[in-house]
Amino acid sequence: MHKGRITELFRGMDRHRALLMFLGAYLFLSLFAPHFFTFYNTTSLLKASSLNGIVAIGFTLIFILGELDLSVGAVVMLCGMLVPGLQPELGWAGGILCALLAGACIGLVNGLLVAKAGISSFIVTLGMMVILEGVMHIYSGGSSMSVASFGLADWLDRPLLPLLPPRVIITFALVGGASLFLQKTPLGRGFFIVGGDPEMAWRAGLNRDRYLILGFVICSVTAALGGALLAASLSSMTGDAVLATRTLMTVLAAVIIGGTPLTGGKGSVVKSYFAVLLLTTVSNGIGCFGLGFEVQMFANGVILAAVVLYEAYVIYRHNLLKGQRPHLLADLEQEQESNSRGSR
Amino acid sequence: MTQNRTRQKTVGSSTARLLLGSLLLVAALLAGCPERKTGREEMTREERLRKSRKAARKVQKMVSTDGQPLVAWGTKQDVPPRPEEPQSLPKTEKGHWWNQEYAGWKTEKVNIPESPADGAWGKEIVLIRAGDHPYWTAYMKGFKRVADAFNMDVTIYNSNWNIVLQAQQTEQAINQRPDMIIFAPVDPTSCTLLLREINRAGVPVIASNTLISNEAMKYVISWTGPDDWGQFRMLARRFADAMDKTGGYAIVRHMPGSSCFFARTYGPITTFKDYGPEMELLAMNTANLKSAQTMELVSAWLTKYGQKLDGLILPGDGFSLTGALEAVQSANREDITIVAAGSSETGLQAVKDGEVLGITYQTAEGDGALACFTAAQWLNGKDLPPVRYLPKEVITQQKVDTYLPAQW
Repeated sequence: MHKGRITELFRGMDRHRALLMFLGAYLFLSLFAPHFFTFYNTTSLLKASSLNGIVAIGFTLIFILGELDLSVGAVVMLCGMLVPGLQPELGWAGGILCALLAGACIGLVNGLLVAKAGISSFIVTLGMMVILEGVMHIYSGGSSMSVASFGLADWLDRPLLPLLPPRVIITFALVGGASLFLQKTPLGRGFFIVGGDPEMAWRAGLNRDRYLILGFVICSVTAALGGALLAASLSSMTGDAVLATRTLMTVLAAVIIGGTPLTGGKGSVVKSYFAVLLLTTVSNGIGCFGLGFEVQMFANGVILAAVVLYEAYVIYRHNLLKGQRPHLLADLEQEQESNSRGSR
Repeated sequence: MTQNRTRQKTVGSSTARLLLGSLLLVAALLAGCPERKTGREEMTREERLRKSRKAARKVQKMVSTDGQPLVAWGTKQDVPPRPEEPQSLPKTEKGHWWNQEYAGWKTEKVNIPESPADGAWGKEIVLIRAGDHPYWTAYMKGFKRVADAFNMDVTIYNSNWNIVLQAQQTEQAINQRPDMIIFAPVDPTSCTLLLREINRAGVPVIASNTLISNEAMKYVISWTGPDDWGQFRMLARRFADAMDKTGGYAIVRHMPGSSCFFARTYGPITTFKDYGPEMELLAMNTANLKSAQTMELVSAWLTKYGQKLDGLILPGDGFSLTGALEAVQSANREDITIVAAGSSETGLQAVKDGEVLGITYQTAEGDGALACFTAAQWLNGKDLPPVRYLPKEVITQQKVDTYLPAQW
C-alpha cells in the first residue's frame, strides 16, 4: 500500500515534471541569483517566453501527430517580416492578418505534401525552411525591416495586471485554448488517435489526411502568430536567420522536455509551455549570476539530456515488465492452450 | 468507462490544484520581493573624480596586443547634407546610403540623462554583447582592461546573435539599474525598441560596434565603433589604384541582416562611381562568411568570367579569405587583386605573404576599450560627440609588421 502510494507519487511527479522543474528552478534562482526575484524580471521572463510558447503550441500538435515541422523558425521570420513590411500600407491589423494567412498557406503546402504526396515531413519541412529563408531575404532585400510606430509595441509590453502584459495574456489564452481544444473536443481528441494509432483512427472513421493537413496548418499559423507578435513588440523584424534556428531548437527541446514523444499519440501544450518557461528561466538565472551564454547552452543541454535519458530508462523499465516481444508471449500462451486441449 | 472518467477528473483536478498552488506560491514569494543592494565602495565625489581622472590618464597610455594605442578615435568627418529622399536615389549613388553611412550625426536625441559627473571609479556597468567570435574575445580583452583601470563592476550578457535573447537580457540589465549599459546590438534596426526601453527607464546607454539606425541613435548618449563605410571607401580607393582603375571585379558579401552586408558592398560600388568609373562589377553574392561556400562561389565566378575577373573584394579576412584563396590558387589565378575587411592573424599573414593587397585595420581590443572609455568619460562629466569612430587604416605589405602580432 505504502509502496503503491510512492509509485503513484512518482508517476504524478513525472506527469507534471515540466511544471515542477520550472518551479524548482524558479525557487532556486529566487533564493540565490542576484536581481532574479523581482516583479520586473518575472514579467520579463513571461514576455521572453511568449514567442517560443506560442510556437510550441503548433509544434506539440505536430509531435502528437507523430510528425515533425522544421520550418517553424523560418515561418516565424518570414511572417514576422511581413508585419513591418506591410504595416505602412495596411496598418498593424492588416499586416498581422496577412502574416497569419501566409502562415496558413505555408502549412497547407506542408500538409498536402506530407498527407497526399506521402513525403516524409522531415524532408518536406526541411526544404520549406530553406525556401522560406530565401524568400525572406528576397522580400527584405537582405536587411531588417522596421517601422517608426511604437504604439502597439508599448501596448503589448505594458502590464495590464501585475506580471501580465497583453503579450503574456495572449500567450496564456492561446495555450489554454489549445489545451482545451485538444482535451475537450472530439476534433482535438482525434489528433491523439490519429497520431497514436492510425489503424484505430481509420476504424473510427477519422480521416488521417485531413488531420495531418489541419495539424500542419495550425503549426504554421501559430508560428506566424509568434513571429507577428514578436515583430509588433519590436516594431521591426531582424533579417538575421539565426533567430529561425534558435527558435526551432528551443521549441524542439521544450516539447521533448514537456513529455511529448516523437512517436505521437500523446502530449500536452501546457506542459510544453512550462518547459519553455523552464528553459527561459534557467537562461535568465544564469545571466543573473553573470555567467556566459556557453553556460546557458550547457545547462539547457543538460536538462534536455537528463529528460531524454529518463525517458529511455522509463521505456526500458516498461519493456522489462511487459516483455520485449509481447506477441511471442501471446503465441506461447495460445500454443500451450491448444496443447492442453489436445491432451484432453 | 466511468472509471476512466473518474480518473480523468482526478488527474484534471490534481493538475488544477498543482497549478493554483504554484501560482499562489509565486505570488506569495513575489509579494515579499527583496531588493538586493550592491556593495559599493563609499567615497566622496571629489575622491572618486580624482581617481577616475588618474585612471583615464593611465588608460590613454595603454597599448593593445598589436602595439597600437588601446584607446584612440578618429576625428569627426565632414557630413554632407542629407538628400531629400535618400531611398529614391539608385543604390549606386552615395546619397542612397546617407541614413546608414551618417547615422547619428544629425539625429536629435531624446530623453538623454544628465551625467552625474561624479567619476567612473567603482561604477556598475552592464555590457550586452552581440555574440561569440574571435573578434569579440579581443573586444572583451580591451573592454576589461579599461574597466579594471576604472575599478568598474562589470556584468556581461552574451546575446549569441539572437534578438529575442537580447530583448530579454535588455530587461534583465534594466532590472539591475546599473550606472551605464553598453549595448552592442545583434541587429542594427531591431535594437531600436530595446534602446528606447533602456532610455525610458532612465538608464544611460552607449551603443557599440554595429552601426545602429538613425532612429535608434536618438536614444543613446553616443555610439562608438568602426567606420565601416569610411574604411571600405579607403580600401576601395587602394584597390582601384592597384587595378589602374580598370577591369572587372566581384564582391563577396557579408551576412544578410547585418549593416556590413551593405557597407562592405555599396561602400566600394559607390566609391568606384567617381574614383574608378571604368571598373566593372561582374558579380556580387553572399557566402555567409563560410569558407567552403566562398570557395564554391569564387570558383564559379572564375569559371564564368575567366580573365575578365581581375579583382575580389571580401567581407572578412577569416573564413572568407581562406575560401577565396583556395579557389584562386586552384585556378592558378594568383594575379587576381584581393582586398578584405580585417585584421585577423590569417589576414595579416596573407598580406605579409603578398597573397592579399590590403586589409582594413579594425582594432577589436580598441573597439571594446573605446566603448568602456567613452562610458567612463561621460560618468566623469565630459560632453561626448554623438558618434565616435575607431581609427581607420588600410594595412598593406609595406606596413603590415607595424600591426603584428595580431589581436585575434
